[in-house]
Amino acid sequence: MYSIEANQLTKKFGDFTAVDHICFEVREGEIFGFLGANGAGKTTAIKMMSGLLLPTSGTATIAGYDILTQSKLIKRNIGYMSQKFSLYGDLTVFENMQLFGTIYKIPRKELKERIMDSLRELEMDAQANTLVDSIPLGWKQKLAFATAILHRPKIVFLDEPTSGVDPIVRREFWKLIYQAASKGVTILVTTHYMDEAEYCNRISIMAEGQIKLIGTPEELKMQMGVDTINDVFVKFVKR
Amino acid sequence: MRTILILIKKEFLQVFRNPLLLSILVVAPMVEFMIFPFCADYEIKVLNIAFIDNDRSQISKDIIHSFNSSEIFVSKGLLTSKKDADEKMKHDKIDLLVEFPSHFEEALYKNEPTVIAVTANAINSVKAGISTGYVQEIIGGYMQDFAAAHTPSNMSAAMAQQASMQSNNASFSQGEERRRSNSTTVMPEQTITPPMPIHISISNIYWYNEQMNYKNLIVPGILVILVTLIGCYVTALNLVREKEIGTIEQVNVTPIRRWQFLLGKMIPFWLLGMAEFGAGLIIMKFVFGISVQGSLPLLLGITAIYLLVMLGLGFFISSVSENQLQSMFIVLFLFIVFVLLSGVFTPTEGMPGWAHKINYLNPMSFYIEVIKKIILKGSEFESVMKETIVLSVMAVIINTGAVLSYREASK
Repeated sequence: MYSIEANQLTKKFGDFTAVDHICFEVREGEIFGFLGANGAGKTTAIKMMSGLLLPTSGTATIAGYDILTQSKLIKRNIGYMSQKFSLYGDLTVFENMQLFGTIYKIPRKELKERIMDSLRELEMDAQANTLVDSIPLGWKQKLAFATAILHRPKIVFLDEPTSGVDPIVRREFWKLIYQAASKGVTILVTTHYMDEAEYCNRISIMAEGQIKLIGTPEELKMQMGVDTINDVFVKFVKR
Repeated sequence: MRTILILIKKEFLQVFRNPLLLSILVVAPMVEFMIFPFCADYEIKVLNIAFIDNDRSQISKDIIHSFNSSEIFVSKGLLTSKKDADEKMKHDKIDLLVEFPSHFEEALYKNEPTVIAVTANAINSVKAGISTGYVQEIIGGYMQDFAAAHTPSNMSAAMAQQASMQSNNASFSQGEERRRSNSTTVMPEQTITPPMPIHISISNIYWYNEQMNYKNLIVPGILVILVTLIGCYVTALNLVREKEIGTIEQVNVTPIRRWQFLLGKMIPFWLLGMAEFGAGLIIMKFVFGISVQGSLPLLLGITAIYLLVMLGLGFFISSVSENQLQSMFIVLFLFIVFVLLSGVFTPTEGMPGWAHKINYLNPMSFYIEVIKKIILKGSEFESVMKETIVLSVMAVIINTGAVLSYREASK
């Protein structure tokens, strides 16, 4: 069974087609990478799949629910981390997690346990009562991820989760992603870093709103006759 | 329920951690209260008056003399020509000019009509209106005595019937201000025909504001501005700020319902607004000595409804704006229109018909009516029922609009 199935998904803003009839499937527990230059349509596609935007035409099913008619059910079953850091800076780490956990109706006592467990895993339990504004960016990103999966969603959408953070934090971040995936969470992640693309089970490369290439990193490298995803991307862009 | 509670908690935490917002909420109203009532004061304490006496009779001298006994008028003496007077008025040396025609005394004794010209500097039309009123009062008073002394006794019986006619100005705004709208030219000439020989005494009683104290009008007005600012301004900035920093996106991907989210924002600011209003009432009582004449629960109840209108408006503006700057401009624009049309500082009676029509859309004009009626007059519910109904309807409409537009904006 597929976690995500996009069928001719399209979004137009006036004359501009941001996402142009894309079709793809993502299996349960898979880490699926969305690659592409800026403006290729990755964020718009994610926003449609997470219920922030309505498609102009086409549809998709997320965790078995239709994005056109069952967005409420979808929202309960997904986690989302936006390109822009979007936790409340003037609330503490704990308050942020408590706020979102409560919105997802996690019972009070269980919520507290989950927050403490999750902070311990991030080695941030000492920062529980620190204002989010005053912690470093790398930690913020890890915190945003932990908050996005606090309600144990089936699918997590990550929109450039590692942009602007240092390589060490990036590696730690991917550890978190693998951890989540090993628990059966489906991950859809967009990135600019080609080395990160190698970590994905499968990737797609988008350009001008369309999916131009799709497959496992190995398949794509073989197809293009190169050794790294970086080369795949460069060769693809030149073509 | 738990969702709304956690949202309320979140909003309160944010308010109390935001020094700028806190100072807007606490300092700004206090400063407004301390400064406004003392500046927005239309009271007239001194009037410089000069005379041109073309008659030089005993009566004209007596009248001029009677101005000296008034506390308000400061006599700048006799002038010889109109040109001289004009010059003095231009340089603000005099506020008023009283001109007696030649053969004034003669006309009085012959019982012929005669005219005293009173010229006022009407750059400040309120002042001009009120000061010519004072002049009329003094000349009228003199003429009365004169008439009493010189009327044949057979006429006095007929006159006694008209003897005590009172003009009760129900409030400051109806009596004094209506005159104001009539005299907007720079130097209007007002003519006074001495009320010879009919004996009418006019005594003014200013109901609900017996000392003609402007603070009684201004202070409740500031209360209105306070509630409006908290309600509209703070909320208009709040939601759009979440848009700007992107947190609203994180909320929008959750299964939260839109009305829950808006309610979670409204309740905290509604409580804050009510607290501000309460603080305002306390200041009003202990600093300005104005206490609420009517029912306090009624006043609080209608304020609660008015706040809902303003909160809804704030959120509506917030959800149609792209950023804080935009919504700030919209609020500022609306706020100025509301204040100018509402009658907070200027009476609405003199406004043209179209302004009155616009005022049917102006929640502030209904609310200031309620405030004046309950605080100053001590009115009961019956006399503010119309305003209450209008404000309630406005609250429903604008809040529905806010929820709908917020939904629209997040697509």
